[in-house]
Amino acid sequence: MNRPSWKKLTERFIILWTGAVIVFLYVPMVAVVLASFSKQRYFKFPVPAFTDKWYQKAFSSLSVRELLWTSLSIAALVTIISVVLAFLGALAFARYDWKGRKLYQRLILLPIFFPQAVLGLAMLLWFSAIGVTTSWHTAVFAHLVWITPIVILIMSIQVYSFDPALEEAAYDLGATRWQVLTQITLPILSPGIISGAIFAFLLSWGNFPLSLFTTGADQTIPEWLYAKMVSGYTPMVPTLGSLTLSAAAMFLLVAYIIWLAISARRRRLDSL
Amino acid sequence: MAGTTQNSKLQWLRNPGVLAALPASIFLLIGFAGPLLMVGAYSFMPSRSFSLNQIPTFENYISIIHDSYYLSFFWSLAMAVIVVILLFIICYPIAYGMAKLFNKWANLVTALIAVPILISENIRLFGWVLILLKNGILDGSLQSLFGVSASGLLFTVPAIILGLVYVYLPFTLFPLVIGISMVPDTLKEAASDLGATRWQIFREVELPLSMPGLMIGGILTFVLVLGSLAEAKILGGQAIVMIADDIESAFTFAQNWPKGSALSVLLIALSGFIVFLLFRRVDLDRVIGRR
Amino acid sequence: MSDVNESFLELSGITKRFGDFVAVDDINLKIAEGEFFTLVGPSGSGKTTMIRMLVGMDQPSDGEMRLKGQVMNNLPANKRPTCMVFQSLALFPHKSVGENIEFSIKIAGQDKAARRTRVNQLMEQLRLPLSYYEKSVMQCSGGERQRVALARALAFDPDILFFDEPLSALDFRLRKALEKELKDIHRETGKTFVYITHSLEEAMVMSDRIAIMRQGRIVQVGTPHEIYNYPKNKFVAQFMGEVNTLAVKKSGKNKVKVVGGDDEFTVLDDLADFTTGFLIIRPEILKIGKAAAKMKNRIKGVAYNDYALGSRVQYQIIIDQFEEHWLVERLQDEPYEGRRGDMVEIGWQPADSILVSE
Repeated sequence: MNRPSWKKLTERFIILWTGAVIVFLYVPMVAVVLASFSKQRYFKFPVPAFTDKWYQKAFSSLSVRELLWTSLSIAALVTIISVVLAFLGALAFARYDWKGRKLYQRLILLPIFFPQAVLGLAMLLWFSAIGVTTSWHTAVFAHLVWITPIVILIMSIQVYSFDPALEEAAYDLGATRWQVLTQITLPILSPGIISGAIFAFLLSWGNFPLSLFTTGADQTIPEWLYAKMVSGYTPMVPTLGSLTLSAAAMFLLVAYIIWLAISARRRRLDSL
Repeated sequence: MAGTTQNSKLQWLRNPGVLAALPASIFLLIGFAGPLLMVGAYSFMPSRSFSLNQIPTFENYISIIHDSYYLSFFWSLAMAVIVVILLFIICYPIAYGMAKLFNKWANLVTALIAVPILISENIRLFGWVLILLKNGILDGSLQSLFGVSASGLLFTVPAIILGLVYVYLPFTLFPLVIGISMVPDTLKEAASDLGATRWQIFREVELPLSMPGLMIGGILTFVLVLGSLAEAKILGGQAIVMIADDIESAFTFAQNWPKGSALSVLLIALSGFIVFLLFRRVDLDRVIGRR
Repeated sequence: MSDVNESFLELSGITKRFGDFVAVDDINLKIAEGEFFTLVGPSGSGKTTMIRMLVGMDQPSDGEMRLKGQVMNNLPANKRPTCMVFQSLALFPHKSVGENIEFSIKIAGQDKAARRTRVNQLMEQLRLPLSYYEKSVMQCSGGERQRVALARALAFDPDILFFDEPLSALDFRLRKALEKELKDIHRETGKTFVYITHSLEEAMVMSDRIAIMRQGRIVQVGTPHEIYNYPKNKFVAQFMGEVNTLAVKKSGKNKVKVVGGDDEFTVLDDLADFTTGFLIIRPEILKIGKAAAKMKNRIKGVAYNDYALGSRVQYQIIIDQFEEHWLVERLQDEPYEGRRGDMVEIGWQPADSILVSE
């Protein structure tokens, strides 16, 4: 028999299907970048003429700079705070055995399962009830409520595979608790911490539903995009969209290079 | 005594789980439980009040029953069911491939699928607007290539479904991958060796063993779609109103916090109940830690 | 062992309670300097809790631990002059072989040149190629990892080295080789080794003295020879490996009778303080077939099955009146013509009977 077996056919189908879905995931982003170079005020395809004037406008615009700065400040603060909270939270989640852990594991993950828009509105009520005026500071708080559990989840995966005997061994060999933390625990868990930080930064950078209700008078890029999409479209929408998109891509690229450098060191050790 | 100070010192190495859990727990108590209680409290305030010092009432819940909100709940539930079914069909082959087939390519595929989660949802949905728009990418291509028009695609229910499937695909896929990789190949071989057919192996071995992953994927997606807002607004226009949309307009447009709170409470109760069912059946240590 | 420094490590009344559960119950032990001492017990016998208290990872609920006469209960693990080789070895995965070995002396502040000299010396002693200094521990084989873990512990220069079943994950042949290697290293370094394992066989090969633990208590302490030949009770005898046991009662000056049966056997011991208990006979001292005829104690049974053990052949014999299966071993060159299903005679000399009271 010469025809390919059933197994081979399914394998081929799975590969093709996966490829198609990945293309499906990226098509809209390509569309946004394409539109950002279109000369027309309103998008039309095939694009009759290309231009970079929207980018020039964006770079010279003060309000765009302000949007970027607000988004960046929120994301940076969220990353730092959530990584610290989640590092400890993940140790409690996956490393230590303690009474109440199973309940903690479930409760701590609840915000992930929660509709973000409703969470944002609930925060709005909360801030007004305790008399806090909403601004980008309150948005940091709101982002943290949703992002910290996600980072805990990501870091936990790494923490689960961490052998507690490593800490005990270092302690037994004379290390202080601080030396155990800085020389054993943190370096071994660093891949999990780095991926947690990447997720924290980018999820905050791109978040819309929480920002919408908690930034008050300040505005982030996703909020601005939504406002302009729903009413008052300007050609700056695809331009700013592409800009945030490339910022995220750059961030990932840098993270990837750092990761390559770390694993190159590991490989150098391995090859000896 | 020296012994007692020694004991408390050693707790750092012995059982500091409680201490480690404290910061995040306290934070979420203030940042998550607090707001939820606030929503609960507001839902019993008279219509259009902006403070909590009124006499509690059930009027918001009663008016929700009398108004046509059941329609929004219906649409949200219907969307959630449809999207979860579609995503299972779309994701199962990919998840199978990632767990069993791709080997060293699996990391690349994971990265390619995870990256879009990190790009703002609004931008990606806007991309679909550009594609589906009259004279947009799809319509424009069809017109110039075949002279056929496909102009009425945007602002329809299928467009919303497309958006939801698009946005929540990774949330179904990744738990599914974990679920499927929890089934050792040897078990399937053993079942086949014992005379089971391909379908019997799937039903008797693969399905039950990968169930935790399937349940997490399905329920996570279900709950997220239930509370989704942007997809219906950006791609659906006025085609249908989902419940999160109602909640948002009650809070913002109608300036009726108690009504919005009551709707939120209902949505939270519905999602919470489903998540509770999930957590009762799934051991997180096993799924996340592969223990 | 010399009695000069008998109490290098002295434990008195060591007890560990977890709630109502007593994991370790009133342990009293003296370990001499330079001794290879092994704690043996099945899982749940309290040996792991015991070693964790000795290293300083756990605190005893009661009792005192003295090292060279100094109470060390309150010394935390990082201040104790003791060091442990972990069951998982706990090699730091992000550090090279050399970095792992020098960890403790780097912590202690030794300069780079001194560290390198010490690491090289240890690597030589443990037969690790010096080129491995830069190699990742993740790339090492099972045996190499054992050596790195041991070198790391030796670099700390502890007064006592503890071992928490480090060989248990290895395959049979490598384990056998490393058991001997470990005993050689013990001889070379002259350090005090305290080892825990669930395998009495492993303990026998390496130890100067063995303590057998059961349910948190020490059942018997002795040299391998004493444990093998004079087990204190049925538990110790059975823990040693496959043995035949029979409930018996005293029936004469040096005779015992099977409980609930008629068979009577002669034993060598003077049965002054024995009334009822167990007769224990090892498979390897039983004779089968013609060789059994010359033995003083004899019984008959049906040969049910046989197993080749290399230099020996083991037989399973069904003895009807005891409702028991006995195991008998024969050297391969001893003559025996019986086949499966045959009625055979087995026998032993009175001197080879072991009597225990419980």
